[in-house]
Amino acid sequence: MNDMTPEKKERSKLAKWSRRGFIGAGVLAGGGLLIGIGVRPGNPIGALAPKVAAGEGEQLINSWVKIDMDNIVTAIVPHCEMGQGAHSVLAQMLADELDAAWDKVRVMQAPADGSYVVTDTARMFVAPFTMNAADWIEPTWNGLFTQVARLADAMITGGSSSIRTTGQHSMRVAGAAARKMLIGAAADAWGVPAAEIATRDSTLFHEASGKSATYAEFASAAAEQPMDQTPTLKTSDQYRLMGRSKPRTDIPCKVDGTAKFGMDAVPEGLDLSYAAVVRPPVPGTTVTSMDASRAKAMSGVLQILNMGDFVAVVADSYWQAQQAINTVKIDWSPSDSPIKTMEDQFAVFAKALDEAGETGGKEAAAKGNAQDALGKAAKRIDAEYRAPYLAHSPMEPINCTAHVTESKCDIWASTQVPLMARSAVADTLGLDKDAVSVHQDYLGGGFGRRLGSDEMAMAARIAKTTGYPVKVVWSREEDTQKAYYRCADLCRMRAGLDADGKLIAYDSVFTQRHDPAEASVPAMYGIENTSIRVAEAPLHLPFQAWRSVDHSQQGFFVESFIDEAAHTAGQDPLEYRLAMLADASRHKAVLEKVAQISNWGETLPEGKAKGVAIVESFGTIVAEVIEVDMTSGKPRLSNIWAVCDAGYVMNPDGFRNQIEGGIVFGLTAAMYGELELKDGAVVQSNFHDYKMLRMNEVPGIAVELINSGDVPIGGAGEPGLPPAAPALANAIFAATGKRIRELPIAKQFA
Amino acid sequence: MHKNAFLAASLLTVMVTACGSAEQPEVVEQIIVREPGEPAAAADPAEADGAVDLVALGEDAFQMCTGCHVNEAGAPSTAGPNLHGVIGRTAGGLEGYPYSDALIASDIVWDEASLDGYLADPAGYLPGTDMLAGAVPDPDARAAIIAYLAGTGE
Amino acid sequence: MASFILNGKPISVDADPAMPILWVVREKLGLSGTKFGCGIAQCGACTVHLDGQPVRSCSTPVSQAEGRQVTTIEGIAGPEGELTKVQEAWISEQVPQCGYCQSGQIMSATALLRDNPNPTDADIDAAMSGNICRCGTYTRIRRAIKVAAGQVEPSTQEA
Repeated sequence: MNDMTPEKKERSKLAKWSRRGFIGAGVLAGGGLLIGIGVRPGNPIGALAPKVAAGEGEQLINSWVKIDMDNIVTAIVPHCEMGQGAHSVLAQMLADELDAAWDKVRVMQAPADGSYVVTDTARMFVAPFTMNAADWIEPTWNGLFTQVARLADAMITGGSSSIRTTGQHSMRVAGAAARKMLIGAAADAWGVPAAEIATRDSTLFHEASGKSATYAEFASAAAEQPMDQTPTLKTSDQYRLMGRSKPRTDIPCKVDGTAKFGMDAVPEGLDLSYAAVVRPPVPGTTVTSMDASRAKAMSGVLQILNMGDFVAVVADSYWQAQQAINTVKIDWSPSDSPIKTMEDQFAVFAKALDEAGETGGKEAAAKGNAQDALGKAAKRIDAEYRAPYLAHSPMEPINCTAHVTESKCDIWASTQVPLMARSAVADTLGLDKDAVSVHQDYLGGGFGRRLGSDEMAMAARIAKTTGYPVKVVWSREEDTQKAYYRCADLCRMRAGLDADGKLIAYDSVFTQRHDPAEASVPAMYGIENTSIRVAEAPLHLPFQAWRSVDHSQQGFFVESFIDEAAHTAGQDPLEYRLAMLADASRHKAVLEKVAQISNWGETLPEGKAKGVAIVESFGTIVAEVIEVDMTSGKPRLSNIWAVCDAGYVMNPDGFRNQIEGGIVFGLTAAMYGELELKDGAVVQSNFHDYKMLRMNEVPGIAVELINSGDVPIGGAGEPGLPPAAPALANAIFAATGKRIRELPIAKQFA
Repeated sequence: MHKNAFLAASLLTVMVTACGSAEQPEVVEQIIVREPGEPAAAADPAEADGAVDLVALGEDAFQMCTGCHVNEAGAPSTAGPNLHGVIGRTAGGLEGYPYSDALIASDIVWDEASLDGYLADPAGYLPGTDMLAGAVPDPDARAAIIAYLAGTGE
Repeated sequence: MASFILNGKPISVDADPAMPILWVVREKLGLSGTKFGCGIAQCGACTVHLDGQPVRSCSTPVSQAEGRQVTTIEGIAGPEGELTKVQEAWISEQVPQCGYCQSGQIMSATALLRDNPNPTDADIDAAMSGNICRCGTYTRIRRAIKVAAGQVEPSTQEA
């Protein structure tokens, strides 16, 4: 296959196809088409990717698509499946552009192995049947992969981004480019114009001559075709799979018990032992002494380890390990943090806000002169809002299985960041990254909790110390109390209304700004004079992105406060918002639709009322109306409506499922979510005191979608959450006149 | 019966000085009780005499209750009420614990007999109890747990 | 030795009688479909059937299973692997997201419909409120139960 003319070589040379990435192709030795898609730094994953490939000329190959000789298309993607449906929808997008048969497309999660994205060794995953490393990719490529230096730990799932980045930029581009190359190969072979060749269901047809062939038959020849670096993608009227509610490919195994999660990993050929752990109750403290006298005598116990920063008991079963570790008396070093209770934490926040005063702190956004306008306003509202620490509580507890030998380490885990986990383990053990392999399957919930790697490092250390393979499981108590959290925060807000009640000045100052930057800015309302300021203060409990990140607390602060402005102005809160959205047509349309489907203006019996909130996050605009029933004196959710505009939704039912889930997650936090501190340690420990919404408390949720068209598409996983708490708080105000300025809500009506 | 109390654990304690990277110290103390695959150590010779420490056996058996209960003077209750001093306590009597209506309404004053009946089948003995799990079907284990609670309840 | 009937087959396993059924089934018998979520009977992920009745296996010692029928998620399908009405409804309504809680949800729903083939919303609340779903699929679970009960038509799938 070494007969590329210089012209052909030139045409197939790599070129940047956009600011976002590039693609290149080659033929697999043994036959088949291989496409590599690289994404450049600056893709929207942004703050979640602390280490992105640096340096000019260095690219990131992050996805592969191959068409095998058995006519199966496989996409190997860097995203995990944690319930958001990413794998299935990525397959949908690829299959559509490629005109592949839906049942002939597979999505495989990229293994987090050092060799995955390095050219000469990637063949082990992409083309395992090839024998000769040098020849596995025929030299028709002109250096595509010699330009790939390294992948810098950027395999990430988060930020509601898998579909709108890898889907839109990698899967669709690869599919469209490949289809064109296949047509070109068939055109050459059949001696007919390419324009006369149609594709459908992984088959090429030339109607006039009656010729047809499967993709596999032309896959190798396709690799020699000129590669269009900016292939034309289908428009929505041409979609055959995208925009359809294709059933998710991973659901059947989740109803028959065969789906495997990290917790279920039983690596072949290994005799596992199990470990339970106890981490410091107060962050930053260490073990000063331990009394394991009872534990030594308990059944199944193998070893008891004081690792300095945690204690572990290793046993024949997890239950035995946990029973034994429950008897170990541990003394911890004193904490030098003055924060012992949440009142202490809020006092630290308050001090930072006091120091910032009315105009201090770092400016996050500014427009006009808010301070001035506030001083002249006809009416003023000043409010202080607060939000508590929250745990992620994914249903699958934190776990990791590790097998450490002299020269390598294998770990099995559920992680949103497999390459970071790999690095953490490599660093811990003093091994090269290439010597560490991360194996994973489905995640039993991520929500941001699985962006860390503590459990992997712990498992590696335990496995190394004991000398045998070990599965480490954190109890629910450990994950609730010794984890990473959605930050607490305190926010002071001031609004100025003119004589007609119009909101002409808005100022807010708060202490926690993590991600995304725009979460605290109500840009869509176009308020003339706005200032958003951050007066940073330290957190007692360590931070980790929690579903929708800063939008989770800022959504509550902003949309509750806007509601306060509406009521102060004596106006209907929905109409008040609509008036401010005159120039934001998409937001306006979403709000109007939710008003319509919820029958917003209807008169409700005493004790029942509706509240509304609208938040744009992760590229998707969501408005929610919640009807609350206060007749018993305690809030009871009666009905929920949501309208979303994500530009275009790739799988409507899947999208709705994510919005429903985000709403339940947000309402759980709104009603019950709170972690208290005593002596600096988290008080809540399990689901009896860190409560979750259950079946009997969740009413019907109606979700409608607006496809507003040609915009970068928005995400699904997080946007349902931010409007939930404010919509509920606003409904409670409408029903009772009581304004909720801190969460959680249920205990305020106990 | 639980084997724990019969073990005379042969153990090897390894003290390793904490050194290595500042972030993650090497193991500070490693207690090796046995290797995987090794059988548990032989029975404690003291047991062969027939002397049985029911309270100690009960403390072991109580481990399966520690998911929800503590037995410690003055400690806050966890998922279930703190059982310290439960012998002689009126059902539903621990101040501050959110008992079910059934426990609050009950006239039971916990003693060995009533605890034995309750632990055998909580929902059958006291319908409406929140104790959905944790029944102790083995009469010997129940006797040991009750002895432990009685013996440590001061 | 603990001896019981697991998914229709008699088995004996060497286990501490106090060990909860959950861990015996997962670690000693290699059935990973039943899940650990909380360990204190609060989340329902560990739900199995004991003589047909739903129990939280994390808090039920294996000694309680002696001589009795234990059914896990792996044991409810038909002999050729035919899915039950509940499982089919879970698929038609596209219930699972991450899926971790769903074995327990399905076991609770299966027991409900066996005892009460025509449940009301209140019946569903009572039977299912012990099962937490952190992904929030409750409204779909409710609908799937009604589909399995024949009370509503299944949602049509995209071909």
